[in-house]
Amino acid sequence: MTQAPTEKMTPTPDPARPHPLRAENLTVAHGDSPPLLEGMNFVAKEGEILGILGPSGCGKSTLLRHLVGLAEPRAGKVILFGEDIFSEGNRSLARARRKYGVMYQSGALFGDLTLLENVSAPLKEFTRLPPKMIRDIAFLKLSLVGLEKAAFQLPANVSGGMCKRAAIARALALEPGLLFLDEPSAGLDPITAADLDELIMTLAKNLKLTFVVVTHELRSIMKIVDEAVLLGKEVRGIAAEGTPEYLARESPAPEAIAFFQRGKK
Amino acid sequence: MAKNVPDFRFEGPLEGGLFVLSGNLNAFTAPKALLVRFGKAFGGLSRVRLDLGKLEHLDLNGAAILIALMGNLGAKKIDCGVQNVPEHLLPIWELALKNHPSPETLREPEKPDVVTLLGMKTARFLADLRDLVSFLGETLTHLLGFLFSPWRIRWGDFFALAERSVVNAIPVTCLVSFLVGLILAFQSAMLMQLFGVEIFVADLVGIAMIRELGTLLTAIVLTGRSGSAFSSELASMKSNQEIDAFVTMGLSPARDLAVPRILALTAATPLLTILADFTGLIGGNIVMISMGHPYMVFWEELSGHVDASDMATGLFKAVVFGFTVALIGCQRGLYADQGPTAVGEATTRGVVTNIIAIAILDSLFAVLFYALRW
Repeated sequence: MTQAPTEKMTPTPDPARPHPLRAENLTVAHGDSPPLLEGMNFVAKEGEILGILGPSGCGKSTLLRHLVGLAEPRAGKVILFGEDIFSEGNRSLARARRKYGVMYQSGALFGDLTLLENVSAPLKEFTRLPPKMIRDIAFLKLSLVGLEKAAFQLPANVSGGMCKRAAIARALALEPGLLFLDEPSAGLDPITAADLDELIMTLAKNLKLTFVVVTHELRSIMKIVDEAVLLGKEVRGIAAEGTPEYLARESPAPEAIAFFQRGKK
Repeated sequence: MAKNVPDFRFEGPLEGGLFVLSGNLNAFTAPKALLVRFGKAFGGLSRVRLDLGKLEHLDLNGAAILIALMGNLGAKKIDCGVQNVPEHLLPIWELALKNHPSPETLREPEKPDVVTLLGMKTARFLADLRDLVSFLGETLTHLLGFLFSPWRIRWGDFFALAERSVVNAIPVTCLVSFLVGLILAFQSAMLMQLFGVEIFVADLVGIAMIRELGTLLTAIVLTGRSGSAFSSELASMKSNQEIDAFVTMGLSPARDLAVPRILALTAATPLLTILADFTGLIGGNIVMISMGHPYMVFWEELSGHVDASDMATGLFKAVVFGFTVALIGCQRGLYADQGPTAVGEATTRGVVTNIIAIAILDSLFAVLFYALRW
């Protein structure tokens, strides 16, 4: 594993201000099959956009499933805001789930609800606010992602980019400190993808949100990612880590060279 | 995340309608009860100032709550404003102010009135009927074409579909039919025994099963089992754009996907019906045996009153029902909408339409055969 000399990617536990996300010796696998990724250590700091990068099939999405608590790691810990999300089983998971939001690759909006109802859903479930206030908050979140005019549309009637924006608004409904985005640019045209990148950067800056973005889109990586973790199939874990600029230009790791030089002669 | 910050509190009204807010204001720390109490504290005031100077943490949800409260006060013509927004909360406050909805933007699109709704439903029904008729025409055209070139039929698909849709439905159809035959014989036998004519149970069960119930039960089982499977399969293909791919490649979904299914069900339904008839009769016979009649009495009585025309009637209807179930199942699937609920909707509509169609066709056949004295 190679590491950027200027970066401090080792976990630095600080009880007063724990990192939004810390993976400790994390080993993940599909069911009973051999581990896909082993012994990973990385952190996402407050207000940072952390990229989880790697070629197709290296285990990015599997890692994400473990980070968001959909699958239990074979070994190691996923620590969100100082708490191991698997420490007390469902109880710690339920606590953790209020602290983060997830945007899935397809948006995963509820098809029979309007965009406004989609964003309202977590607020109705987890808060005791009056319905009108929930509506106002949901609308504000849609306005934040530029969808105020599509609030009463069903997901089937809006574009893929709009679905992803609405999914971000839904993930933001409870104001989590951490947002996981799975392939935000996948399936979008370059202009829509660039708009989405802008939105992610704006939200990170204005709301001091931490983002964990799983992606393999080079343009998006270079534009939005502050720190990156590059996964490798051969090493079955982190092949390299650091800023995208470091990984693209200086990292001696063959995986980094292969990943960032693809498509170049 | 605000750590170790006390929950939201307010003090007031102080002099000049001043309220001092403190603590951490977000969607979790401002429950409805607190907000109601906060709202009541404004009673009788003509001017309200919210002092945010002591507020330690405020997120977008908290800011939206405050703006909504101010909007409520504004609607009651109360002069309302905020003061002393702390420096560290200013960006969030301004972001919330910028994105808060106006009452106009929050207005839901108008819902159609009853007359419009009725018109829309009627138009939808007529469009459905047109689609069904047009699909029937398209299918019949392809079937006619296959008559002259039978080698173009996808026989592999035909046999696989016949097995999956009909052969695999044998156990459930026979079970249902057997039980219906049993119940029919038992119910009628109790009445006929009073008059000492329980021997006629054989005729009743025989004619009812062979002319009517065997066919009907088979059609209903096939509707629930195979027609719905056709609808959901084809609707899924439509959702995945496989049907679009068929069309753009110059292939015909009706010819290549629907016709093999329709042929398979049409050809195999009569065979399933014969099995259903037979198991229903066995059910009837068991009741007769339990009443003390020898095994052969049932069949001898039956052969005297049930003839080939009864069998032909049942089988003719089986062919029509098999064709109908497959046709409607495929049409609902191929004409499904796009979207996550489309598959479920197509399947439900396929089953409902099929049951209605079978009931209507069966009634028509009853009148027709009565008129023909067949």
